[in-house]
Amino acid sequence: MENNFILLILIPLVTAFLLPIIELVNTKIRKAFILLSASGELLLGIIIFISNYNLIKTSELYIEYNLGAWSSFLGIALVLDNLSLFFSILLVISMFLIIVYSIGFIGHQEGKYYVLLFLLLAAMQGAVLTNDIFNLYVFIELITITSTALISFNRNRESAEASFKYLLYGVIGGLFFFIGIFLLYYTTGSLNMGLIFSEYQDINQNIQIAVMILFLTSIFIKVGLFPFHYWLPKAHSTSTGPVSALLSGILLKVFICIFLRLFWQVFSYELLVDMGLAELIIYIGLFSSIIGHLLAFREDDIKRMLAFSTLGHIGMIVAVLALNTASGLLGGLMHTISHLLMKSTLFLTVGYLLQYTEGSHHLADFNGIAYKNKGIFVSFILAALGMVGIPPLPGFFSKWYIVDAFIQSGYNWAALLILLLGLISLFYYLRYIIRGYNQVEAERIVKPVKETSVLSVFYRERVVTLAVYVFTTLMLTAGLFFWWYKKPLLIIANLITG
Amino acid sequence: MIYNIVFILLFLLGLYAILTNRNLVKIIIGVNIMESAVFFWVIAVNSREGVLPILEKGSEIIQVANPLPQALILTGVVIGASTTAFLLTLLIEIDKFANNINLDFLKGLRD
Amino acid sequence: MGLPGLIRKNKREILVAIILLILGFFLLIVFNSVPEQRVVLDSTAGQIIDSGVEKTGSPNLVTAILYDYRAFDSLGESTVIYAAVSSIALILSFKTLPISSQGLSFISKRTFSLVTPFVFIFGFYIITHGHLSPGGGFQGGVILAAISIIFCIIYGSAYDYENVSPGSKTLLETGGALLFVFLGILGIIVGGNFFSNFGISPAQSGTLFSSGNILLINLGIGVKVGAGLAIIFYTMIQKTYLEE
Repeated sequence: MENNFILLILIPLVTAFLLPIIELVNTKIRKAFILLSASGELLLGIIIFISNYNLIKTSELYIEYNLGAWSSFLGIALVLDNLSLFFSILLVISMFLIIVYSIGFIGHQEGKYYVLLFLLLAAMQGAVLTNDIFNLYVFIELITITSTALISFNRNRESAEASFKYLLYGVIGGLFFFIGIFLLYYTTGSLNMGLIFSEYQDINQNIQIAVMILFLTSIFIKVGLFPFHYWLPKAHSTSTGPVSALLSGILLKVFICIFLRLFWQVFSYELLVDMGLAELIIYIGLFSSIIGHLLAFREDDIKRMLAFSTLGHIGMIVAVLALNTASGLLGGLMHTISHLLMKSTLFLTVGYLLQYTEGSHHLADFNGIAYKNKGIFVSFILAALGMVGIPPLPGFFSKWYIVDAFIQSGYNWAALLILLLGLISLFYYLRYIIRGYNQVEAERIVKPVKETSVLSVFYRERVVTLAVYVFTTLMLTAGLFFWWYKKPLLIIANLITG
Repeated sequence: MIYNIVFILLFLLGLYAILTNRNLVKIIIGVNIMESAVFFWVIAVNSREGVLPILEKGSEIIQVANPLPQALILTGVVIGASTTAFLLTLLIEIDKFANNINLDFLKGLRD
Repeated sequence: MGLPGLIRKNKREILVAIILLILGFFLLIVFNSVPEQRVVLDSTAGQIIDSGVEKTGSPNLVTAILYDYRAFDSLGESTVIYAAVSSIALILSFKTLPISSQGLSFISKRTFSLVTPFVFIFGFYIITHGHLSPGGGFQGGVILAAISIIFCIIYGSAYDYENVSPGSKTLLETGGALLFVFLGILGIIVGGNFFSNFGISPAQSGTLFSSGNILLINLGIGVKVGAGLAIIFYTMIQKTYLEE
């Protein structure tokens, strides 16, 4: 069982293929089937983690699975090492919770929504686990198409425009990736990432630079850093609740994993440093961070504000990863976990609270929301404070390590910048928290806030709140017990930087 | 050498079409031109004297064209066609809501 | 208006053109350094050419790579088509009854009633002979989709709706996809890894029923791609008719 980690990709794939048939037969068992499949995937992920635990501690985990029983020279290979196992576990746990949330939240067109959701899960797992660069391209394109369809799930005008823009950027990014793959193949003669690594030093200097710039551009387009960030605010804010959490929290982290794998395990990072590109990445990351936080400050629409905040944090993660020190990678990976948990919680709670404002995103309509559902609003407050960086929430510890990494590498001004931006984010989150408790204003507005949520249909409200509470608990656990996962992350960081 | 120039010309033409056009259909056509340029280049780099990679008994290896890029291009073409179909569908959806597919009038795409 | 007027009007286009020309110059330097391609024996392609026919049983090496060495990529690619079909059906779904045109003139209808069966046979020929001559699942599947497109255009989409209903198209597509994954899983059960070629029919290579898995995979993919593209066309044309 422990070598069959291909089942991590196969289970969601087969589920997505079987769902239309189940819908033709009997629609009532659909929810049970989805839940069964999601729990199966979660169980499989946990079993694989536990059965390889000793290997993880000694940082010797490297299991290769050759598809079709061809050697990795001739065919495609999947690899399970520390980096891919880490992201795979993150994916499995967070996607399970989002599927549970969607079961309660999504009311229309459910059949196709779950098909696309499971295809997205399979594609993300495939992108994280593969060791072949063309296979990575196919999975990235699958991620792009399914996430575009999920963005346009709300059938209104803004979603259509947002998904068109997102797909256009995504296709162009994929095209640059494609050119890079073929430049690599025609000069090294192989498509396996391990074999490319061993041949990479010997090729022409011009081609080395060109390939790195092509892949860097492609990843920056997909992650949404400056100057390709124009799709980000619209796409993340016009999609429905769970889809926004999925895109903003989980999808961007998969591309961070691809960034790590490409630039540390295929091209050795020292080459980047020699050519000055590493400095460029740090500046682009920090500049995106500045843009993200400042533009979030001026936003009235809550979901757009959260999307710009994502831009800010992802820019920070990319900048600190580009430092190429063990503490830099530790800070980046830690912030990956904490940002995933906190941003998902934020988007899920906002998705729920928007039921009360009848879908309006404006600040003025949030009056008195806190009194409608105290528990969910407390989760919102905790997640928001975590994003700012207040102990004992996980955001504080990860920001601490990031600032520490910047100071250790001599970028004191960057550390100061990050603390300043954290202060700015405090302001724009505080606005919403204060508004929520604004009971006096609530009685004077003309449009009344709804008394009960739309979701109080039998079990749906409870399922949604359950998912939110589990996320909040995970977030608090991650904050209070951060030393549990600090050591494994340090092992991964040391492994990557060699 | 000549195919490099053709590839770069077509690729930059497609990129120019994407960056400067106002009409969304022309932008999609520009994406298609870029993709076709890349597929053309990949096959053209490989163009030596070679027979089809369908082997009769006992052909020499030197005379056979490289089958690996051809298989990868097949995958690329299929993915390109799927994304073009999807882009056109989104265009139909935008047209339904806005009655216009010119970027100047679609405020939503400029923000 | 003279040249200064033209420049002022098209300032943005000229700026973009200049930047792209500089970029093109750098790209030219890079692409000229790509070395001359020669197939050597110990590269990946050389090994495939050398021993491909014995190991997979299919003389067509491109098909051997697509469905045996790199069958996982073909699974990903057919999943991309499946995702695109699902997304288009999601976005363009409609709740009213289908309406259709009358089709083209009597001469076209008569001619195509003679031609269509041959197109069908030709499509199946390309699918099943994928390992013997150029062709395969994807190529043949597109030809099969052309039959549904012929029905829609020449006979009106009501004819297409009655004869090959969207429900049966969905069933065909999902069936093709499941056949493909099932063959892969059989590979695990038989004892190899996912997608091991386990020689269902070990006849002499060069005949139709050789090369094990590849024939069945071709059938699965051909049916799936054909059904998928037919669904896309039918959905888009319904949307167009609805607007009139």
